Amino acid sequence: MARPTNAQPLPLMVLSLGFIALWLIAAAFPFVWTAWGSFKVEPDFFSRSDWTNAITGVQTIRQTGSAFTGAGYEGAWLEQEFWKSVINTAIVTLCVTVISLTFGTLGGYALARSGYRYTFWILIAALIFRAMPHVTLVSGYLLPFFELGIWGYLPTTIIVLVAINQPFTLWMLHSFFLSIPKDLDESAMVDGCTRFQAFRLAVIPVMWPGVVTTGLFSFLLAYNDFTVTSMLLTQENQTMVPKIASFLGSTQAEGKVMYAVAAVVSAIAPLFVLVLFFQRQIVSGLTAGAVKG
Amino acid sequence: MARLNLKNVNKRWGNYVAVKDFDLDIADQEFLVLLGPSGCGKSTTMRMIAGLEDVTEGEIWLGDRMVNDLEPKDRDISMVFQSYGLYPNLTVYENIRFPLRVRKVPKDKHDEMVMTAIRMVELEQFMHRRPAELSGGQRQRVALGRAIVRKPTVFLMDEPLSNLDAKLRVSTRAQIKNLQSKLKTTTVYVTHDQIEAMTLADRVVVMNKGEIQQVGTPTQIYDHPANTFVASFIGSPAMNLIPGTLRGGTFTGDGITVTGLTAPDGDMTLGFRAEDAEITESGGQIAAPVYAVELLGEASMISWRLGDALVSVKTAKDYRAETGQMVEASVPAAICHLFDTQTGKALPR
Repeated sequence: MARPTNAQPLPLMVLSLGFIALWLIAAAFPFVWTAWGSFKVEPDFFSRSDWTNAITGVQTIRQTGSAFTGAGYEGAWLEQEFWKSVINTAIVTLCVTVISLTFGTLGGYALARSGYRYTFWILIAALIFRAMPHVTLVSGYLLPFFELGIWGYLPTTIIVLVAINQPFTLWMLHSFFLSIPKDLDESAMVDGCTRFQAFRLAVIPVMWPGVVTTGLFSFLLAYNDFTVTSMLLTQENQTMVPKIASFLGSTQAEGKVMYAVAAVVSAIAPLFVLVLFFQRQIVSGLTAGAVKG
Repeated sequence: MARLNLKNVNKRWGNYVAVKDFDLDIADQEFLVLLGPSGCGKSTTMRMIAGLEDVTEGEIWLGDRMVNDLEPKDRDISMVFQSYGLYPNLTVYENIRFPLRVRKVPKDKHDEMVMTAIRMVELEQFMHRRPAELSGGQRQRVALGRAIVRKPTVFLMDEPLSNLDAKLRVSTRAQIKNLQSKLKTTTVYVTHDQIEAMTLADRVVVMNKGEIQQVGTPTQIYDHPANTFVASFIGSPAMNLIPGTLRGGTFTGDGITVTGLTAPDGDMTLGFRAEDAEITESGGQIAAPVYAVELLGEASMISWRLGDALVSVKTAKDYRAETGQMVEASVPAAICHLFDTQTGKALPR
């Protein structure tokens, strides 16, 4: 068999493949386990007698007649109105992403092109706010929000999440804009653009990988947030993550935990699709930001 | 067509003076070159004309319009950048069409105008490629094409050849010269390369530390440098400059004595061009051991070390001498320039 000249020695190859396999199992096992278990009943997935029940589904067959059941999904989505949380999450993530990106691209561009010293201090201030634990901000918000009567609504949460996310988007987009030569906007301006047209027609088309990458991180922040959404939203306005947490917290009735498991799987699925769909832009965006050119 | 008029233009950032009292009339259809070392304010001057930098003080007139407060897009200029400034997401054709699109030129005229420009810069076979697929010279030609497509009143070129290799630089230089003579558009060209300045310019403005040192045709600047800075900047090699004193028409410096000069007594710097002086058997004004012999191809260059100054003379290409050998050179008063050592200014001859 022809082997490439730079082939690794066999033990090293076995070691590295073994490591990759180990990492894959460690990373993917919880997802696979949860996804599989979400189609079982609670006595199986949380079996006290035999853990293999979660795989074979003994109780599930006894209760429903089939090895797989959609009862968890039915209960979560319909009975517990998980679909409302899905809509709430969609609204929150979409608004947070769009608002963060709008201010982030405009602000990042301005900061990248400004010659003034204070831009540095603005960025440092942004970094400090970014470094704070989210919960420190939330505790400060609670009383004013109650007093103003705006606690519990989606727009309030969106504003808070944007405030938390904005420093990061500013930093990220700022460094993307720095990697785009100034000559590009200047030639656009000489060619007949206003400053804003130059930004829109000449700079943004080159910026797409950066915008997509930053947008994705903003999306993930809003999508995965627990601290803010759990403390600032009423029961009926809850997004997916606090909703799942509330399922887990109510174990009095049998089966409720399975709602959480089913909901978790429902919440993960869109993320897979999203990352697969944008993976090319994300990779090129990450490297474009890393290597200044 | 357009005259360009800069009236006492100043640019300052805080205490730093980038351009000081720049005062110049640029005639219609003129090819003007701003020449100087890096940091001399030449690019800043051009960027003020383009509107990319604000003018701190003074006025810029384009034709009969004062353009100080106009946006770059309203000045009717076009500019070629050192790093091309092409739109990487657009093809060559779309790059050149971009100014027409944003300026709302009627769509039915686009194709004809773009194709004319593409033919002028000889990019027909590359017009559907993107900038990333082009060589440096081709990219710069795209930038040129984009500059000429809408027939502006003034071209600004900011070191357009600096990123090209030596061979390409010569051919692109010729192309720029040819384009300008065909289009007859007023052009301001910034460079630090004196050969570019000499070959391209109708008039050269030599700048240093934000100030104009001399304005003149390439010949004037070469033959009659206004001060020691211009003398040491123009020419390859630059003019030989030797400090010394003048007493009764005789200049005496380290290892050199020149008689028959007409100027008042005082501390002077003597200057002469390497190609004006000659190697001689005897009776030369310079007689010293040779420091180095360099072969240039079309000539040989002999140099001496006179005090701190390195003095060179060009001679026939087959001339040979050993390092350290005594060689004399004749430097008659007729080829000499005198500069006041204090002020650096040239004395009238």
